[in-house]
Amino acid sequence: MLPVGQSLPFPIEVISGDRLSISIGPQHPGSGHFRIIVVLEGDIVAEAIPDAGYVHRGAEKLCEFRHFVQNIPLLERTTLPDANGIIFPYVLAVEELMGIQAPQRAQYLRIIAAELNRIVSHLYWLGIYGPFLGHTTMFMWPMGDRELFMDLIQTIGGTRVTPSYIIPGGVRNDVPDYFKDQALKAIKYFERRLKEYDKLFFSNPLVLKRTQGVGVLNRSDAVALGITGPNLRGSGLKSDTRKDETYSMYDTVDFDVPSYPDGDCWARNMVRFYELYWSMQIIKQAIEKMPSGPFRSRLPLLTARAPPGEVVARTEAARGCMSYYVVSDGSSKPYRVRVSVPSFRNIIGIPHLLKGGHLADVPAIYWSLDYWPVEADK
Amino acid sequence: MSEPNDFENFLRRVATLVFWLLLLVPVIIFPIAFFGSLFIPKQILEFLFHSSEPNILFVLINKAQNPFLAITEVNDFLGLGPCVPAFSYIPPPNCSPTFFRIVVFPGFTFVALITLWLGWYERKLVAKIHMRYGPLYAGRISGVLQPIADLLKLLFKEIIVPAKADKPFFVAVPLLTMGISAALLAVIPLSERVFIIPPESASLGLLVLFAILGFYPIIILMGAWASSNKFSFIGGLRALHQLVSYEIPWFLSVLGVVVLTSSLDPFQVVRAQSNIWFIVPQFIGAFVFLTAAMAELERIPFDLPEADTEIVFGWLTEYTGMNWGILFGLAPFIKLYVFSGLFTLLFLGGWLGFASLPPEIWFLLKTFIVINVIMLVRVFNPRIRVDLLIRFGWVYLILLAVANLFLAVALKALGVF
Amino acid sequence: MGLVKGFFEAFATSLRQLFRRRMTLRYPEQKLEIEGEGFQYDAKKGIGIPGYKGRHILFLDKCTGCQLCSIACENIADCIEMVTVEKKEFPAWVVPKQLAAAATFPQNRKSLWPQIDYGSCVFCAFCVDACPFDALYMTNEYELTSYTKEGLIFTPTQLAVPPKKVGETVKLQAEEMELYHG
Repeated sequence: MLPVGQSLPFPIEVISGDRLSISIGPQHPGSGHFRIIVVLEGDIVAEAIPDAGYVHRGAEKLCEFRHFVQNIPLLERTTLPDANGIIFPYVLAVEELMGIQAPQRAQYLRIIAAELNRIVSHLYWLGIYGPFLGHTTMFMWPMGDRELFMDLIQTIGGTRVTPSYIIPGGVRNDVPDYFKDQALKAIKYFERRLKEYDKLFFSNPLVLKRTQGVGVLNRSDAVALGITGPNLRGSGLKSDTRKDETYSMYDTVDFDVPSYPDGDCWARNMVRFYELYWSMQIIKQAIEKMPSGPFRSRLPLLTARAPPGEVVARTEAARGCMSYYVVSDGSSKPYRVRVSVPSFRNIIGIPHLLKGGHLADVPAIYWSLDYWPVEADK
Repeated sequence: MSEPNDFENFLRRVATLVFWLLLLVPVIIFPIAFFGSLFIPKQILEFLFHSSEPNILFVLINKAQNPFLAITEVNDFLGLGPCVPAFSYIPPPNCSPTFFRIVVFPGFTFVALITLWLGWYERKLVAKIHMRYGPLYAGRISGVLQPIADLLKLLFKEIIVPAKADKPFFVAVPLLTMGISAALLAVIPLSERVFIIPPESASLGLLVLFAILGFYPIIILMGAWASSNKFSFIGGLRALHQLVSYEIPWFLSVLGVVVLTSSLDPFQVVRAQSNIWFIVPQFIGAFVFLTAAMAELERIPFDLPEADTEIVFGWLTEYTGMNWGILFGLAPFIKLYVFSGLFTLLFLGGWLGFASLPPEIWFLLKTFIVINVIMLVRVFNPRIRVDLLIRFGWVYLILLAVANLFLAVALKALGVF
Repeated sequence: MGLVKGFFEAFATSLRQLFRRRMTLRYPEQKLEIEGEGFQYDAKKGIGIPGYKGRHILFLDKCTGCQLCSIACENIADCIEMVTVEKKEFPAWVVPKQLAAAATFPQNRKSLWPQIDYGSCVFCAFCVDACPFDALYMTNEYELTSYTKEGLIFTPTQLAVPPKKVGETVKLQAEEMELYHG
């Protein structure tokens, strides 16, 4: 990464000797809202410099002018595919500051919302992996099947994306009666469909050739660089915040954390593939185990105050371990909200992994790290 | 839809223009040209029309002597009347069918119409596997008029030539691509009766085809270099690597068939398959041919020159409007038709089949099946990487093609063929 | 040989999709069915009632003009503004039949009603949670387009209109291995 305060060591448009520098920039079909400056020697990448900040909106500063509950729509919109996952740790932090605890039914409903968003986020990731590899069916099938789960989020939360469902005190509303049938039907369909995904997308010989042995991140490097989430689990470390520092009734549901020792793109893809399966099992168990009872403790919506203090809360979002550091000074607006997003933790992997690979591996590796530029720039 | 529809106004204007053109040209312009030609000296006429004997242009102008004949001529403006025996082989001066054959059937217009609707067919087929519809609204039934809509849209888009581009080369590339794709059509006959190059002058047909095909890498590199864009440059180099690497296994696989029939004439090759189609003894060659043809067509999984998530759009990046329409929408499909037709001629028995259907229909049917196979490969494969591509082309495909050649020589030596 | 088997299985899997129905929802010929009546909030119990978050509906006989919805929205999307609409200006059909024309809506003394700008609204429904009189709910209506930006600002009268009934609707069905709208 570049040291702060310095501009790039060379202008972007330079061709010298046999090095060619191209900017896989914001206006590029293979990059998202993010620029990677790639210096090529022939077909091999000599250097890759990520240039984040294109969509910085100052969300952390904006949080200081809003009440605790009003921050939820603001922070949700930094990670659209995984909206419930990014709000979960914030709400846990605020509840700890205020000294309240959500009722049990609300905790199970939170698990269901977070796992549904994990499935939706992973299917979106798989869907965009298609054009990056050139596989058109890999774009269409996950996006189509994702509609089933977006409908489930709509049944719970009211909108398909950013439902603002989890608030301090519990969840906003209960699930309707037809939710259980709808969810079980969707899960039954998708479990069968996962076998087809395996044959078509993950065991396809050409996909294997493009992702095996590509972008290898070995275990010590992953720990030294601070990579989180499925990327860390793809390098052999079985680390998951849901199991290590369990929160919100995750210890009562039974699930396994997949991990592969290879460390290449294929391992990271397979970790996400199996997480799809285990998320569905968690949802099934949570629906069964949910007790009846209250799901929202009464809190004044806007004027709820938190006594002065500071709190760190961590959960496992779809992309990795997300943590919030919330400082309160006694009023109903937070004094400081610091969001530590998994994408920003993983950005250090981009220059490390892209070096030495082919140009065609740049999209494959960059997207297998599941870097979401809007989340990283906040 | 109660608002004034710009598209309907536009169609109305186009229809009015065409109507007035069809009325004015034969009624006014042709008689003037005829009377004017009476005053032109004979040498200039001979120079212009290459003979003072009747040919289509002269016949047309001659016939429009008065308004009634002009209207008759409008109804029969191709001059098909006296040239219907174009299907049969009547040499000039009574009839000159070559113009009809080259331009209308089985030549350029016929193939252009087929390729327009091949684009539609591919979009619908691939869409069905993708769980979606494809073109649906242009034209009442399932979007059949979508190619026309795309064509009209592209005709009206601005053709942007980049400031730093090498203008003559940049503008010439789509025309050259189109010209070469059209030139290849001449070698593919549809049956013994329907052809462009007649059988007695087609003794080197296959060689001519591959000689013309050798132009493609140069044209693509020209287009990529003239665009003066880094991404185009990378795409052009990749296209060069790909096209040149896969020409060699391609020639070798065709060489197997040539050894078995000992002639380069497409008519001879088809006649030699009357006992058994060559796909049975030459199955390895057929596989190599199909793979190399897909690589020459730049189709998925071999579409690295146009990999749009790595190098924006490869060597086609700077082409807009109708330039792009020709390069990406028309020429590749004409090439697809030509290569599938070649596969049918060499391996699937050309136009041989039960006598209940005419041989032209057999040929088109078999070509259609081959086109389907090539289209379906794109559905389940990602893009291949450059080093894998080159290793596959130079090592595995050449080995397979040489093994196929040994098989063919062995079969010929044993007297089976 | 594993290579050939892998290719063949992938090919067969993709070809099986040829015999299934397509998934697309052909909007506007087909419209999606939304179950329930829209997101609502029960002020007495303090819980939300699950539903779709579409256009708001304002109950003119319950709204007191307390501005709590506007205050709740102020820091989120800032799209609710209180406007003065004289009670006589409401068209006849919104006036409840049993009340006389001069004494309509006695609960709203200052004639202040909310006006929502759908160009800014993020449909988070915190205004619904904030209303203590159950006067603002959300409905299933999502077709809120307009040709001008001013057309997106819904006046209190427009907000009081009950939602349009949708004709035939389809639902997303997940059958054996097929996913389709029907």
